[in-house]
Amino acid sequence: MKKSTAILCAAALALSLTACGGKEKEVSVDPAKLAGELLETVTSDTLSETSADLIPSTYFIEADDMKKGVAYASSGATACEVVVIQSKDAGNTSNVEKQFQSRVKNQSDLYASYNQGEVDKLDKAIIRSAGAYTVLCVCDDTDKANEILKNSGF
Amino acid sequence: MSAQKQKRKKRKDTLVLKLLIIVALVLVVFEGRLIVTMITHRSVMNGSSVNDEADAVETESGTIEDTVQEPSKDNVPAVSGSSGLDLSLAGLPGMSVSSGSSEPETEASRKPTVSNPDSQAIVREAVTAVDDSYFSDAAFIGDSRMQGFRNASGITQGQFFTSVGMSLSKMKSEAIIPTADGENITVAAALSGGKYSKIYIMLGANDLGEYDWDSFRDGFISVTKRFTEIQPDAIMYICSCIYVEESKVTTGDYVNNENVDKINSILLEICENQGYYYLDLNEILSNGYGSLIEGASSDGVHIYENYCKQMLDYMKTHYVPVDSEDERESESESETSAEN
Repeated sequence: MKKSTAILCAAALALSLTACGGKEKEVSVDPAKLAGELLETVTSDTLSETSADLIPSTYFIEADDMKKGVAYASSGATACEVVVIQSKDAGNTSNVEKQFQSRVKNQSDLYASYNQGEVDKLDKAIIRSAGAYTVLCVCDDTDKANEILKNSGF
Repeated sequence: MSAQKQKRKKRKDTLVLKLLIIVALVLVVFEGRLIVTMITHRSVMNGSSVNDEADAVETESGTIEDTVQEPSKDNVPAVSGSSGLDLSLAGLPGMSVSSGSSEPETEASRKPTVSNPDSQAIVREAVTAVDDSYFSDAAFIGDSRMQGFRNASGITQGQFFTSVGMSLSKMKSEAIIPTADGENITVAAALSGGKYSKIYIMLGANDLGEYDWDSFRDGFISVTKRFTEIQPDAIMYICSCIYVEESKVTTGDYVNNENVDKINSILLEICENQGYYYLDLNEILSNGYGSLIEGASSDGVHIYENYCKQMLDYMKTHYVPVDSEDERESESESETSAEN
């Protein structure tokens, strides 16, 4: 009796551990608030909020896949930008990350012949996902940005 | 013992006295400078209302919003019947504001924003403004300034084919427009991907070092002709190259307003000859003396959010009504047949 109880308990524990491992990281943030916090890491430029309607065509993210998106971008003087995307499905974050990586590479190539100083910022671009959220942050203070993201569960 | 105490107290008093003298000296120096600044500032204010405006404009966009006028109807010429002088002065931030001086500003010092103010190619202000839906079938092509316009103006519709550092040669043949699959394509290829009724082009800032202006003219005509072949029904709007604030520009001496004026005169001429429409954005962005409004940009080239919003408002009130387009087309056709 004792043996079977122990086996049952072990199995239950193993199952619960497996379930925990497979579960998505539960993160819940307000994209606008997070973007606002990250905005403080940009000190070399004054970024403007881009219309959410233009986020899909700018970052090549399907509008139907996006639950919410907030983007702050430069008036052209620097490569700085802060984007927070909340996908409808957490499984889509890898695709958003891929598009962000592609954008950073593209921007880096363009700035290389235009303003070399901005390439350094792009080299340190932060692209990170947690839960259904994906962040792109090209800024001046990456340490602070990483700290903000860590505190937000990224 | 008490003598020592008294000595200490005396030393302390001397120290306090010295500190007070230092504070007084600092105050005299700084206040004196302030007074001098105030005096010189006042004399500048009396000399020019435009400078008055520029002083009020801070580098932060939020402050700018409060001080710079919107492109109001008072500043912008009417649809018809405006004199060339009105046009060249329109949009000046301080022109309609009394500076307190009874002396009128000298007309000679004011600089027109266009080489031919009476040109039929210049888009005049319409009676009614369109809303963002007007741009739903528009393609916006341009450099980082156009990209900044997309980012900061608040525009909600339109397809943007922009690229940092876009010059005429890059617009013509380089694969600089990103796509969803990660590959870059040329502007022409991007333009082929949809149906557009309006094309807005903002170029020139990266071509200011191009002193072979004939080559620029020919190249521009060649590439825009290609665009009209791709989108034959589209209205072609050519945006003027926006002035720069020379003192802030660090990218090269060639980025100056003399070259901006030169390139704009070529763009206007191209519009006249090719049947395109010229958007004189400097109407609202010039300080009145052939330069970008002071404080409108951090680097002298890329303008702050508030000015991008003003550009959007300008575009909403400066468009080609359908009948006007037909009129100009028939004029152009009759000219062509007369030539034949």
